[in-house]
Order: sequence, then structure tokens, then C-alpha cells
Amino acid sequence: MEITQKHIVQRAAFMALAMVVVAVLIIVQLFNIQVVNGEKYRLRADRLTTRVIDIPAERGNIFADDGSILSSSTSKYDIYFDAVTVRANVFTDQNVQQLADSLHTMLHESASYFRTKLKKARLNKQRYVFIARRLSYPQYQRIKKFPIFNKGAIRGGFIAKQSISREYPAGELARRTIGSDKMVYGKDGKLYSQHVGVEGYYSNFLKGKNGSRLMQKIGKNKWKPINDNNELEPVEGKDIISTLDLTIQDIAHNALKNQLQKFEAEFGTAIVMEVKTGAIKAMVNLGKNEGDTGYYETVNYAVGTPYEPGSTFKLASLLAVLEEQKIDTATVIDTGDGKYKVYDKYVRDDHHGGFGQITIAEIFEKSSNIGFVKLVQQYFNSKPKKFVDRLRNMHLDKKTGIVIKGEKTPKIPYPTDKTWSGLSLPWMTHGYGVELTPLQILTFYNAVANNGKMMKPYLVSEIKQWNTTIKKIQPVVIDPSIASPKNIKIVQKLLENVVKKGTAKKIYNPDFLLAGKTGTSQANYWKGAAFKQYISSFSGFFPADNPQYSCIVVVYHPKKEIGYFGAEVAAPVFRKIANHYYIKNKIKEPYEKSNVAKKVLQSNYAKAHKIAQKYKTIMPDVKGLPAMDALAILENMGLRVKLNGSGKVIEQSIEAGKKINKQQQIILKLS
Amino acid sequence: MASVKDNILSILRVEFLINEDAAKNWRFIVFIVFLAIVMIASSQKADRKVYRIAQLKKEVIALRSSFVATRKKVEKLKLESSVIAAVDKMGLTTSKETPIAIVKK
Repeated sequence: MEITQKHIVQRAAFMALAMVVVAVLIIVQLFNIQVVNGEKYRLRADRLTTRVIDIPAERGNIFADDGSILSSSTSKYDIYFDAVTVRANVFTDQNVQQLADSLHTMLHESASYFRTKLKKARLNKQRYVFIARRLSYPQYQRIKKFPIFNKGAIRGGFIAKQSISREYPAGELARRTIGSDKMVYGKDGKLYSQHVGVEGYYSNFLKGKNGSRLMQKIGKNKWKPINDNNELEPVEGKDIISTLDLTIQDIAHNALKNQLQKFEAEFGTAIVMEVKTGAIKAMVNLGKNEGDTGYYETVNYAVGTPYEPGSTFKLASLLAVLEEQKIDTATVIDTGDGKYKVYDKYVRDDHHGGFGQITIAEIFEKSSNIGFVKLVQQYFNSKPKKFVDRLRNMHLDKKTGIVIKGEKTPKIPYPTDKTWSGLSLPWMTHGYGVELTPLQILTFYNAVANNGKMMKPYLVSEIKQWNTTIKKIQPVVIDPSIASPKNIKIVQKLLENVVKKGTAKKIYNPDFLLAGKTGTSQANYWKGAAFKQYISSFSGFFPADNPQYSCIVVVYHPKKEIGYFGAEVAAPVFRKIANHYYIKNKIKEPYEKSNVAKKVLQSNYAKAHKIAQKYKTIMPDVKGLPAMDALAILENMGLRVKLNGSGKVIEQSIEAGKKINKQQQIILKLS
Repeated sequence: MASVKDNILSILRVEFLINEDAAKNWRFIVFIVFLAIVMIASSQKADRKVYRIAQLKKEVIALRSSFVATRKKVEKLKLESSVIAAVDKMGLTTSKETPIAIVKK
């Protein structure tokens, strides 16, 4: 066919038309995308490339008063293994065996367990095999270097998932007092926030405020901020400085734990408070774990578990009487033969044949129940309200207001109560029918130690942001004077006498005076003799002549067969805590007057010194010398000393009088 | 119409780059190219910074974790109970007496 001008024009026109149609279609589609569905597509595009991310605020730390960390946020690592991606030349039998061995040294499972697990995962083509949970950073650093894992994610199939978690460097020490702030599932399956201890109470300060920022994707799963507008900077959490002293906490923790184990008790608590300020220096709460012999910090008994205090309450009764009546503590009371009937019940004294006629001071020191019943009846039988009002004036019916949730209100019955009976007053005198928490009892004892000034117990002294103080928490005075200074002095002396010659004389040390009151109260006594249990306690302060710390120890339900008296179960814990103060505060003595200097010269040291001066190359007789003295002498002579046992030297491997060589070994057997 | 056609043809023939007064156009083009290079470079730099920040953050977390782990170890070691347990093997126990510093005057 001849190509004519007409054909060309027709074809061009056709092409032009086709192009116009295509262009129109494109325009229609563009309109559709941009205008009709524009919003939808723009949103989708934004979602893929931009997003608002939360910038989590860093939670603050909790410190002890010496700067030790009690609670902090750190990274934990969950480790998984990708058994598919790992190269065949890496996943060799030898490497798998080495990895399994290494995992065994670090984790609890056996090497064969890991070897089977890894090989099975490879066979089943598993890409996410669980290896270990919640590893610490040093552990993570270590596991990364294990065979196969050290090849990294692609060649070695090593997967580590990092998460932030709360760490408690002091371990079990004050664990419940430090507390936690977390979300827990309730019985209804819903999530609830659980605020425990200092961590829970100061959560608003600790947690800070999360920030947010609009980010754009830039690849490799990294996002960059789009602009400086519409962003919220995170506010870092504040640090909490607690009043807890880790050393005292450690001493109290171990002393109480040993005693709980010794007496196979159910649970116990010990609190140490600074007399002048009310600052809590230690708060131990230990409870037996079911199916386990250990004791753990799970419940805050110190703050949340009221108990009938028994004899430790007699201090309050005595102060009430002294405040009401101007009586002398030398006044004699007839406590009879140890059995005294009140209505249809008997009050008894724990002393065979009774105490007979004793003074008020003695009824306190010997802790006579009958004495207290008779004393209070004598002055308050017709006006019990006055007695209870006296107790109320000493704030014994009020909470201390400690910054830990769950403090219970004390139970101090009042004569207008429906439950008040003829037995209420007499029983109350020696701590029955009333209920207080250990911390409430201690707050009262602390006021007595502090010459009548009652301080509010507190656990946090400062809130900080880096080095800047945000808030300083000052000691709070609950009552500048709970009783007259004269009566406070009297009871302080009586408390000292309890240790000197009363129920707690077992813990008496003439060089370091303690003051306190024992308590042995019965628990579950209403259920019958078979169910009866005891609560042993001791509350007091030290040093008696210049009180620095007050302390309470309460041991719940010790095994009756082993022992249950406050003096036997709780007081030794108090003694150990006080001893720590005693041995840490050295006494300065001028050389001329020092008896100690003389004593030292008379001691074994003198003998050791003499030997050291005399013997240089001949073996001396070191038998009878303390190990440390013998060690010093022999090492100075150039011998290599090996000690077997502890105490004094009873045998020496090189006989006395023999010539010795430098670097020769000598074995000392100790008693 | 003719002028529009001419203009298009002129652009297609890149006359604005080769005619006599093209020099000023070239200057503008160089300026635009320079701006584009600056923009791309700064965007690249910002991206690099984001990667660096992410890496540093990771490092901070690691160092912090390492610090707490070490601190935990030290705190445990310096506890009196740990010291007592450690020296017990040497036959040493806690003194029951307060130390007396003899001051020579």
C-alpha cells in the first residue's frame, strides 16, 4: 500500500488521540490519588515513614545514706539462637560441644541438655530457640564470646533481646522496705499497679515523665527526628536518698536471721532508729518461705503487722501512772504468790512462788504482770478513761505516718467502746487487748530515749536530681514532750536496770550500757493450749547514758520447745546490733592513764615481742601463742607459714631450737 | 502559538546554555547545584548523627549496666557479714570489745 500524506496524518492523529486518552487517564488517576483518596494515601505514607515515638524517662535510683545503691534500672538480656541462619562451617560438632560446655558453666542445665537442644533446633529449622533469660550485663558480655555465638547474628545465629529492669544491688537486705513499683495481674485478670515500700511511695518522683518526638524512617530500622517542633523532652526521674544504713541493716539482718533459724520461728522484724531524728537506719522483715528453710523479705511486718506487745507495753502503763500520780518508784506492791484473780480470770507471773512484796521499780525490772495490774487498778480502777487518755496523750493510739503504705491504726480500747469489759483495763496494763505495730512501739521507746521528744519515723532524707537537691526532708517532731522530764528520767533509769539486773541481764555488759524492756506475749491463746504461741520481743536504746539509737526486735512464734522468752530470743539480736555501735566507736584514752596499755604489755604480745627480738635464725617455741602473733614472728623470720585451724598454736612442724632457712615452710596446728 | 513552540524548541535545544548570554544562566545553575549538594550533605550528616546517637545510647546503657553490676559486687564484698565470712577461715572473728585508741600527749 502506498504511503500517502493522508495515511501519515491519520496515523499521527491516531497516535495523538491515543496519547491524549492515556494522558487523560493519568490525570484522572492522579486526581483520584491526590484528591479523592488523597487523605487516605497521605496517611498511609506517613505511617510507613514517620511516627511519634515515646522517649522513656530514665527511672531514678534509690541510695542508702552512705551512697550505696539500693535500687537502680539496668539492662537485662534474653538470649535466643537462630539455628537456621548459622553457617554449616560454624555449626560443627566440635563447636556445638564447646558451646554446650560453655553454656553449662554459666547456666544451670547440663552440657548434654544444651547440645541436644541446639542440634534438635537445627534439624527442625527453628529460628528462635530460647537459651537464657534475664542475664546481667557482665553475663551478656561473657555469653557473646562463647563459640558459635562469637560469630555474631548472621553467621553465629546469636540473638540478644535487651530490656530495662530494676536491680537491687543490696540483694535481700531491706528488700521489702525498698519495695517495688510494678504492674501485676489481679484475680480478675486485670492489670493493677502495685506500690510497695519507698519505691512505691516515691514512684512519682522516681519515674519521671516520658517524652515524645515525631520521627522519620531513614533505613536500617533507624528513625530520625523530623524537626524540633511538636516534641516533648523526657523528664528524668529523681534520685531518692534513704536514711537506711547498709552496714546496720546487714548486721540486723544477719543477727535476726540467725535467731529465727535457731528458734525455728515463723517470722520476725528488727528496726533501728536514730534517737534524735527518727531516721530509720535499718528495717528488717524476715518470713519463712513455705517448703524452704530460708527466711526472706516478703511482708513488711514492722509497719503492717500489729500484735499484742505484752510486757514492752508496761513502759507506757508505768509512765501513765507516774504522770497521773506523784508516786515514788520505791513504793511497795504486794504481788503475792504469782497468781492473782481478776473476775474469773487469773493473772500470773513467770516466777515460781511469785515475787511477793516488791517495789514499783522492781515490778518493772522483773516484769511482774500482777504488780502492774495492782498498780494500775489502785489508781485507775474507778476512772479507766483517765488511764487510756494518758496513753492517748502519748500518741499510742495514732499511726506514725511512715512513708510506707499499709500502716495499721493501733488498737487501744476506750471505756466507751462496746467491747470494753472489766478485764480490759487490767489486761491492758501488761500489753494485752491492745495492738500496735513494732514501729509504733519503737516510736514510743524512741521518744523516751529522746528525753520525751517524739519524732516521726522517716525513711527518706533527700530527693535529688544529679547533684542538685530537689527536696530535703527534715525530721518532724510529733510531740516535743510526751511526759514530764522527771518521769522520763525515772523510766530511762528503770529501762537501764532491766538490763543491769532485771529480765534482760543476760545481755548486760558493764562496759557498754544498754536500756530496754523484754516482752513475751502469748498469741492465739484464745484457741486453746495446743494452739498457743509466743511473740518474743525486746525494745530499747543504746548507749543507755547517751542514747544514739533505739531498736526493737520482735520474733513471732518461736518453737516453744527451743525457747520463747523475750530475753532469750529477741534480746540477743538487740545486743548484736548494739555491739556493732560499741565496737565502731573507739574510746580515746591518754597513754599515761591507760590501763589498756599496761594490759597489752602483760599480754601474750609481750611474750611474742620478746621471742621476735631474740630469735632470728633459730626456730623459737611458739606453742601457746595466739595464731596471729606466731604468724607475725615467723613471717618476719622469713618462713612461709601455713595455719591449720584457729586459736592458739598447739603444734609446730619445725621443732624449737632447730636452725631455719629462709622461705622454709612451717605448719602450725591451732586449737 | 509560534512563540510557545519556539520557546519549547529553544529549551529542547538547550539554547539557554549555549547562547551568548548563557553565562548568567550557568551561574544560577551552579548555585542551584551547590544548594542541592549542601542539602544532600546535611541530610546525610543528620542521618549519620542519628546512627551515632543510637550507638552512644546503647553504649551508655551498657556502661551503666556494667557500673551497677560492679557496684553490686563491691557492695556485697564490703558488707560486714561478707568480711566476717571471709576472715572466718583465717580464724578471725569480730571483736567483742570496743577499740581503745591510746593517745600520747
